[in-house]
Amino acid sequence: MKNIAIVIFIVLIVAILGLYLFSFQVRETQSALVTTFGKPTREITDPGWKFKWPAPIQTKHPFDSRMRVFEGDLIETETAERVPIVVNTYVVWRIAEPLGFFNAVGTVREAESKLLSQISDTQNTVIGRHSFGEFVNSDPNEIKFPQIEEEMRIDLQQAVANADYGIEIKTLGIKQLKISKDVSEKVFERMRAERNTKYQATIAQGNAEATKIKADADSKKTELLATAEAKAKAIQAEGDAEAAKYYKMLEADPEFAMFLRRIDAARETLKERSTIILREGSWLVDLFKGMPNIEPRDPNEPK
Amino acid sequence: MTDQNHETNRDLQPQSPRNPVGGELDVAGKSLFEALRISFIILKIIMIVLVVLFLASGFRTIGPDEQALVLQFGRIRGVGEDRILEPGLVGPLPWLHWVFPYPIDKIIKIPVAKKVNMPINSFWYPEMLPPGPKRRIGIPEALDPVKDGYCITRSEKQTQSISASTGGDYNIVHSKWQLTYQIDDPERFFKNVYIEDVKPGQSYFDVITKSITPFLKAMFDDVVVTAMVHYTIDEALSSQDIIPDDVRKLLQEKLNKIESGIKVVSVELPDTTWPRQINEAFLASHRASQESQKAISDARTYAENTLGEAAGLAAEKIAQARAYRTKIVETARADAEYLQKLLPEYRKYPELVVQKIYLDAVMYILNNVDEKMIIQPTKGTKGTELWLYFSRDPELKPKSKKEQSP
Repeated sequence: MKNIAIVIFIVLIVAILGLYLFSFQVRETQSALVTTFGKPTREITDPGWKFKWPAPIQTKHPFDSRMRVFEGDLIETETAERVPIVVNTYVVWRIAEPLGFFNAVGTVREAESKLLSQISDTQNTVIGRHSFGEFVNSDPNEIKFPQIEEEMRIDLQQAVANADYGIEIKTLGIKQLKISKDVSEKVFERMRAERNTKYQATIAQGNAEATKIKADADSKKTELLATAEAKAKAIQAEGDAEAAKYYKMLEADPEFAMFLRRIDAARETLKERSTIILREGSWLVDLFKGMPNIEPRDPNEPK
Repeated sequence: MTDQNHETNRDLQPQSPRNPVGGELDVAGKSLFEALRISFIILKIIMIVLVVLFLASGFRTIGPDEQALVLQFGRIRGVGEDRILEPGLVGPLPWLHWVFPYPIDKIIKIPVAKKVNMPINSFWYPEMLPPGPKRRIGIPEALDPVKDGYCITRSEKQTQSISASTGGDYNIVHSKWQLTYQIDDPERFFKNVYIEDVKPGQSYFDVITKSITPFLKAMFDDVVVTAMVHYTIDEALSSQDIIPDDVRKLLQEKLNKIESGIKVVSVELPDTTWPRQINEAFLASHRASQESQKAISDARTYAENTLGEAAGLAAEKIAQARAYRTKIVETARADAEYLQKLLPEYRKYPELVVQKIYLDAVMYILNNVDEKMIIQPTKGTKGTELWLYFSRDPELKPKSKKEQSP
């Protein structure tokens, strides 16, 4: 009993030791290369439990195959029409083929230094092919910024593939798009001019609108008053017409009617704040001259 | 054989005094054996304890804001949805999971629910230090591409004539951004995005954040640069929602394309401004829009007043017309009626009626008239002049009215 336990124990230990010597794990985040006496013999890109001969014979070289970001330097370059622009490009890259990476590059640091010079080449080549107007343009349809980035990615991918670096460029982008100091001063000048134009345009536009509002109001006013005038005239005419009906009634005795009218007019006109001058000879003045000589009429005397 | 045995026994016999010695040895052996046995038992217990501990070390907790993957011999364990362990809700200890201990299984916990906020100032100029007596630095004339952050925006279409002369068709704008992200696909994130190794004493979450910050920042910057060239400076300065939304979509597209497993929760644009160097021009332009707004609102007020006034005038005109109508009709009617009433009397006694009316009127007039004068021309005074002073006393009328009223 005891012996069997010991045997199992020993076998277990030997097995575990054996597994340590003869196998290894490749993680989901890794790829690996196995070398036999220093010569690469097996490339492993899928994760899992792998076997190999023990150390002196076969050696494993794991590589982290996850995406990393690498930024180039801020460099001044020229567009197709020799306009200088300052760009900074980054790449997201990963080790895709351990064999190529092992042979041509080796370490991440080395890869980055290789990428740095490649990025600079790609920038010069691709940006040199495009005009400035394709980066920024007053017509948004002319802007080919994303296309340029994709073109750069393809160019860089081609370059690293040609050099067999075992690197895959997942994405590439321009993270800074700038201009040199001297140019920025010119841009400021232009922006100032632009603002000035805009300033004037805004003022002019505002004034124009204000004027239009005022003119509209004025014309509406005229219109309104004209309408009111017309309406008033109509009402007056209505009144005159209606009054005319009564004038007909006056025709019964026009002379007497005229007399009444005059009396009314006199009452109305001399109502107040007036001075009346009486001349000698008027009946009122005559009253002051003496008693009138009148006698009662004989009621029987015929008229 | 037996004899020999006996002999040996006999040989041993004489050494009987040593017998006790032989007995002591036996005791020692026994106690040694005993000790070995005990230590063996202890060893066994220790081993069992170790095995138990070894197995127990497979228990892992998953926090409420985490999801986990199990690597079995380096490969993610499970199929489909089973690949991701969540802090479940069922069972007595839902947050507790068991995996085979190292080196078979390894649990990777990814903080999925945590939203990380990242301010991005790469498009802002270096802020000046608080103004002190010696620290006051003037605004540089130009922008340094290394120190100053900014975006290039497109110009408006009609300004092409201006731009053609100075060789450029763009503006410069500064902006401040705020990105909030979270990991939403732990598997893709784990497989594809480089994370530094966690050193003892470091929190895994901090390491993740630190590792992906440059990654996200580069992509974010790229997206902002791409987005901003499509807008004009005025759009950039005024749009508070459209551009961040655009940036968010573009960034998410990029992150999805490389299968990063990262989700953009929100993109904000807390601040945008024109370059300090041309502050005056922008302020003037800003004032212009205020001025023109004022001109317009003044014009609106004027319009309202004018129309109100016109409406008043119109109403007055119509009212006057109505009054006129009423008056003229009433007067005419009154006259007519008066005549009709008087006519029979007049026909009977024409002189008396006329005289009565006439004298009534004279009386009325003379009563109301302020001043009466009688001029008695002497004989032969043909050239007599009469002077009248009109409106000598404006108080005359109210006075007379007052006298009359009581």
